Amino acid sequence: MNHAITAVIKKDFRGITANRRLFLSLLIVPIVLTVFLPGMFITIAHFMPEDEDLQMLLELLPRSSWASTMELTVTGLIFNNILPVFFLMIPIMASSIMAASSFVGEKEKHTLETLLYSPLTLGQIFQAKILASFLMSMTVSLISFVVMLTVVELEVFLLMGTLLLPSANWPVILLLLSPAVSMIAVTLIVRGSAKAQSVEESQQGAVFMIIPVLLLIVGQFTGVLLVSLWILLGLSLLCVLLALFLLKKAAGRFTYEMLLQ
Amino acid sequence: MQTIILQNLSKTYSGGRQAVRQISLALDPGEVYGFLGPNGAGKTTTVKLLNGTLTPSGGSCRVYGIDPSAEPAKAHAHTGVVTEHAQMYDNLTGIENLLFYASVFGLSPSDSRTRAAALLRQLDLKDAADKKLSAYSTGMRQRLSLARALIHRPEVLFLDEPTSGLDPESAQNVNQMIRDLAETEGITVFLCTHQLRYAQEVCTRYGLIDEGRLLASGTLHELQKAIMPELPLIVRAEHMPHRLPFQQAGGENIYQASIRTEDEIPSLVRQIIEGGGDVYSVEVKHPSLEEIYFTLTRDRKRTENAEKTPGIQQAREEGKERTI
Repeated sequence: MNHAITAVIKKDFRGITANRRLFLSLLIVPIVLTVFLPGMFITIAHFMPEDEDLQMLLELLPRSSWASTMELTVTGLIFNNILPVFFLMIPIMASSIMAASSFVGEKEKHTLETLLYSPLTLGQIFQAKILASFLMSMTVSLISFVVMLTVVELEVFLLMGTLLLPSANWPVILLLLSPAVSMIAVTLIVRGSAKAQSVEESQQGAVFMIIPVLLLIVGQFTGVLLVSLWILLGLSLLCVLLALFLLKKAAGRFTYEMLLQ
Repeated sequence: MQTIILQNLSKTYSGGRQAVRQISLALDPGEVYGFLGPNGAGKTTTVKLLNGTLTPSGGSCRVYGIDPSAEPAKAHAHTGVVTEHAQMYDNLTGIENLLFYASVFGLSPSDSRTRAAALLRQLDLKDAADKKLSAYSTGMRQRLSLARALIHRPEVLFLDEPTSGLDPESAQNVNQMIRDLAETEGITVFLCTHQLRYAQEVCTRYGLIDEGRLLASGTLHELQKAIMPELPLIVRAEHMPHRLPFQQAGGENIYQASIRTEDEIPSLVRQIIEGGGDVYSVEVKHPSLEEIYFTLTRDRKRTENAEKTPGIQQAREEGKERTI
């Protein structure tokens, strides 16, 4: 990769980690979603009474979801069907914070103009910014996954004396859907950045991306929608295609004149 | 090779405002060209056109042989730009900022360090090198911007109000540095300012711009000759011989005559002495850059008004006819 592009990416990473306010906002959501909520769900599953109605409800699930005890069935359901959806929220949130700060933030602080006077082409500047946001979002997602896995397995082991086996949903979400969703969020923010005059304004746009993910979570919880592996794979591939399309379109529409307004 | 060439360069913004109107000029290496005019005259727009961040509406320009609107990134490799709006990163220290821009411009890490340290020393920022930019004063920021623009040893330097916010001592240092860069390294400096006195200290040639039009361009001597073909010669003398072409000016024993060149002075002084006069002082009043600028803008407005007046009169007459 071009030496100058690497320099911009490193600088953008540092811009986030050195800013305490931004760095905290980048950490809070993953901590809540990967430590507090899973911890709470598993504790509830462990202490819930053996209810006949719940037993009947669980019997409606596919046989592959059944475990030796009701407690383990519910915990497995939470781990393999509900928690993965959180890993769509985390990259959207991380990439929106990073993209808004690295692009609109630079515009707001008049540092983008200085970068535009460098020997990097507009395309290379976009490439660096998009890559920085994408890499940051993926790093946050992967660290969050490791933290969540440790918390969940430790808690399940301590409370139930066993370990959980991650389903095939996890690699699809982590390696396909989550990067694609992250890339979509980054490109949408970058597209909006020419018009947005402040970081807040640009982040507000990304909030709309969370809505379909929230619906998916509600669907998973209520059992209205139980996304199978094949649907998940199809959805992931669709998102990858959309991300690639948006990525190709993102840089082409900008001119220096538009960015310096 | 001429480093900056503008040919009928024009820029009209989408709102219809004509910021630059058919400017043509060419600069040689080592020139410090003062592009002078009030705020809103079109100086910054011209710098942006020369850096390819704006596209010309008409005409063309070349910087170091490259068309900046077609290949901006290629042109930027040869240019350094200091403008009021081109800021650096507050969360990085002075030296970190310079090292970042050095790596963006493709300098090796060791070369970057040497160059950054040398520039910080030259611009009197050595002690502030490890301070975050957020702790810098306006003057320090301005000097660091100059260091940033020079980090990659550019052949062309664009400076937009480089001494605004600087104390007199720093401004003098920056002036000296600009002169040295032009003289020893042959850098072409395109300096935009509205401070005409400051420009007169540092520039070798000037372009005077108002409302997007280049009113005049040349060395100070050329501009002075163009504006005032005859120079006032002020002589303080007693017993001034009456036959000489001197007239009483202002105070007692102060006389004035018009001359075309300074070569006429020795002969005139000799004539005063031979005629029995005693000469105490002789001074030629050269018009300053400010006087030249105001004369040019006044002349332009007068010409414009003269052009407009017949139209206005005609419109008034037409109006009268209609009301009658």
